[in-house]
Amino acid sequence: MSITAETAKQHANDPAVLCCRAEAGTELTPANFEDPAIFPDLVDSGLLNLDGALKLGQVLNGSKLTKTVDSLTPITADIVDKFDAAEGAEEAAPAAEEVVEAAPAVAAAPVAAAPAAGGYISLHIGEGKNIDIQIPAGIGGGVAAAPAAAVAAPAVAAAAPAAAAEEEGEAVVVREMTRKHYKIDKVVLGDETKIEGTTLYIREAAAQEGADGQKLVHSLTLDVITPDNYHTYTETVMDIQPIATKEDDYELGEGVTRVLDGVVMMVTGITEEGIQVGEFGSSEGYIDENMMWNRPGAVDKGEIIIRAHAVIDNKKNMERPGPIAIHTAVDHVTQEIRNAMKKDLTDEQVVDTQVLKQVRRPGKKKIVIVKEIMGQGAMHDNFLFPTEPVGVLGAKPNVDLGNVPVAANPLEVMDGCIHALTCIGPASKEMSRHYWREPLVYEAIHDDDVDLVGVIFVGSPQANTDKFYVSRRLGQMVESMNVDGAFVTTEGFGNNHVDFTSHIEQIGKRGVPVVGFSFCAVQGALVTGNKYCDAMVDNNKSMSGIENEVLACNTLCHEDAIRGLAMLKAKMAGETIKAPERKYTHAVKESNVELIEKAYGTKMELVDNEQALPMSEKRKAKYD
Amino acid sequence: MENIQMLLKQGAVGKPCAPVVAVGDKVKKGTLIATPTGLGVNVHSSVYGEVVEILEDRIVIKPDEEQPDEYVKIPKGSNLEMIKEAGVLGQGGAGFPTFIKIYNGKDDKPVLDHGYILVNASECEPGLAHNIQQIDEDPARLLRGIHYIMEIAGADKGIIAIKKKHRETILKLDALLKDDPAIERHLLPDIYPMGEERAVVRECLGIELEPDKLPSAANAVVINSETVYSCVSAIEDQKPLIDKNLTVRGMIKGGSEAHVFENVPVGTSVQALIERAGGFDERGYGEIIMGGAFTGKATTLDAPITKATGAILVTRPFRDLHGAKTGILVCACGGNLERMEDLVAKYNGTVAHVCYCKQAAEMPNGTRKCERPGNCPGQVKNNLEFKKAGCEYIIIGNCSDCSNTVMASGPKMGLKVIHMTDLAMMAVGHPLYRTLKVSKKVDQDLDVVDNVEDNETVQ
Repeated sequence: MSITAETAKQHANDPAVLCCRAEAGTELTPANFEDPAIFPDLVDSGLLNLDGALKLGQVLNGSKLTKTVDSLTPITADIVDKFDAAEGAEEAAPAAEEVVEAAPAVAAAPVAAAPAAGGYISLHIGEGKNIDIQIPAGIGGGVAAAPAAAVAAPAVAAAAPAAAAEEEGEAVVVREMTRKHYKIDKVVLGDETKIEGTTLYIREAAAQEGADGQKLVHSLTLDVITPDNYHTYTETVMDIQPIATKEDDYELGEGVTRVLDGVVMMVTGITEEGIQVGEFGSSEGYIDENMMWNRPGAVDKGEIIIRAHAVIDNKKNMERPGPIAIHTAVDHVTQEIRNAMKKDLTDEQVVDTQVLKQVRRPGKKKIVIVKEIMGQGAMHDNFLFPTEPVGVLGAKPNVDLGNVPVAANPLEVMDGCIHALTCIGPASKEMSRHYWREPLVYEAIHDDDVDLVGVIFVGSPQANTDKFYVSRRLGQMVESMNVDGAFVTTEGFGNNHVDFTSHIEQIGKRGVPVVGFSFCAVQGALVTGNKYCDAMVDNNKSMSGIENEVLACNTLCHEDAIRGLAMLKAKMAGETIKAPERKYTHAVKESNVELIEKAYGTKMELVDNEQALPMSEKRKAKYD
Repeated sequence: MENIQMLLKQGAVGKPCAPVVAVGDKVKKGTLIATPTGLGVNVHSSVYGEVVEILEDRIVIKPDEEQPDEYVKIPKGSNLEMIKEAGVLGQGGAGFPTFIKIYNGKDDKPVLDHGYILVNASECEPGLAHNIQQIDEDPARLLRGIHYIMEIAGADKGIIAIKKKHRETILKLDALLKDDPAIERHLLPDIYPMGEERAVVRECLGIELEPDKLPSAANAVVINSETVYSCVSAIEDQKPLIDKNLTVRGMIKGGSEAHVFENVPVGTSVQALIERAGGFDERGYGEIIMGGAFTGKATTLDAPITKATGAILVTRPFRDLHGAKTGILVCACGGNLERMEDLVAKYNGTVAHVCYCKQAAEMPNGTRKCERPGNCPGQVKNNLEFKKAGCEYIIIGNCSDCSNTVMASGPKMGLKVIHMTDLAMMAVGHPLYRTLKVSKKVDQDLDVVDNVEDNETVQ
């Protein structure tokens, strides 16, 4: 496609290739040229040979064609009357030390310079030592351009002490909550739900009661899978949930939460015909072959799994009421356990106590985490803010909320404010447990260099018009937060990348540096892109870069969070993020990890991928 | 003689008129039978006969056996009044009322400020011949018409835009223009879409108008040559617009030559015209297009022609793509998405992906206009998308320049390219729209040979 003068300038050092036939005598203008962003595809498919091509910057200074040539002809010295000397290529790419590369391939997004509108004007001089000069731009009415020197105290209602902290203030604890851990090493199905010592008894009939309460659920059965039985066949895993309850009348994110260690709830479901309740693949198969142990959203190896298996009406596997009914039926059982936890557990049984603190760091770069959650309807939904951690009661489905952005504080997130109904590709799905242990929130709140202001959840609606509706609201919300940087994460890939990239654009165009997180790799390359999508962390862990149906394999882990934080810090400092190689390669991540280890003087432990699991027949046949 | 069907909406734009006759009324040629209710023009009977039916969208007239040449004259008045009274509308396609185009509607201030009347004699759609034939037969009448319109619209200058290939006709015009300094001619290359309104403005005046701008933004009015003749008939002969010239061509018995019919009564059926041309070729046909191959629509045998109809094209039969994945490239020069989808269905393809030409700007009313008619913005990105979507075929409706660009990469990627006009072009013996070998510029000196026609020929 023909390009604009602005694009031509950005690509001054890229080859000049005519987009269309042009006749002898034509004075070349940007409109004559094809967008260099698509050259690699053309070269790959043998449509373009760039040997000897002059650069765009060399031929836009009054050069005229001396020959009539066809579309996709590179401009070479023999077909123009004159051209400028090539500019020093070395100067154009400063050898910065801490540059972190973006990971996934963005199909068509031309790499753009940092936006100048609003925010800061960043000057970067990359000679030897980095010198970054930031000038408050003060342009663009309404665009939040906080002067770098004086950062106002965080305006958090609950935090009176925060008012005292000015400028380079001490870290301020805005709020805190306690998690009390109770050990369970045996789960028995029986006639009564209770906890005795470290044994959890579950009333088996509660499951059928849960099913009876839901018209669409034919049956709900429980069984207990202990570590020695991990080689058990299971239908697709719809969710992994922590079993936790609030003490007294505390709300999520405050007071005390009791949680059972060593045991998790696993929700599975099929229709009467045996169709898996899932969309892009399903994780059915032997648990030990299809569970990526110890991912934030997955089962930790060694834990006891309580499996709640539902059978629902035919054809309801892809309709919203189906999964909602399953989750609601399962919660009937879980709630009975929660009630037993309230009743039976005593402080003597506590094996571990954690105090979770929401910390603000006045004077540090303010950042916000935006988590895109699925909201296309069908099985793509999430319950927001239940009364109990990862409960159902009291929650509102984000689809019903219109998928508009909703703000949460980090403790609410870690206390189970998201009950995930999503059943997208198993490998990239964020289970309910993922939010409970969200690594990005964890790493951001523990990072002394940044001031995490909060977490925003925004749904991913089905229709494109709705997608842009919610992302515009998100942009406005982020603008009003006055932040210096933002993360946008998503789960799954494909359809939701439309709003994912739109979120990034809406935030980016307000002058706020953004780093995105998504599974992309080989299979999930972005379907759309824009110039703000230049800093991306790929959550892929799989060897082949695919959705391999291994539960939680390609979800956001601590190592990704650390990479993202390093990238955002670099971007906020005005560093350029290098474009990734065109084809997905693990090398990008590896070299970034190396850079981070060098810069921070620490060693990053990387998690295993599916190769650490016994090979399943399915994986053998379909993937590896 | 078959019944004549006078549609209450004669142009593509505007509102239907209201009948002013009743069933049983006797009408003559030129009897006013319907008047505008909004944007529109008077409709007059094109035959002597009796109103036999009034439907929601049309008045049906049973013609008498005897059809004398005389017609009911419109009343005398100012030139503008007579153009309005005669129900003249644009015969280049959309059928916009001419009296509105050339008059500002409010006061005596003309619509142009010492501007230009640009006469579109490009006969832009391939295979048509009736416009040039009309000019060739009586060029002086065209010039008189241009002067009438210049006077009404407040123009100082008239420019006739005509393709350079019509040398004989141009020579006749030149002979008259020698003594008419207010009017000149501008030669156009033989590529599509030279007749697009804004392309005419650009070629003649060098002004590139935005897609949402009218020629008035360039102090110009663009008017089709046949419309100018209709204005002359209204002014000099007090004749309402009741008949018109058109080209019937394609899979017609006897060959692919153009059948130009003059003074065809408005309301005549497609079937009657095809029969008059010789009937269908026995090898069969694909579809019947009312209008040109690019911008016309598929029609039926019983459909009547309107004042704005320029052609009836009968295409070659469709070949069967056996459900192959087909991409659609929608641009502003050819069919809209609906038309393209219709064609894919007729080819028995399966729509696998739709792209829009980068320059096909969407207008508030949902139609598309090209930002730079005839100058391609590049198409390879679309081709990559088609390829990615697994398309085996793509169907395009692009102009000469854009088709050329599509061809520069499509076939190399393994995409089989179909142009929406292919079956019509084969049927009329016109080169297919594929590669472009001729220059988009022609020398204004008629004797300078600058275009060598070596486009791909018909298979």
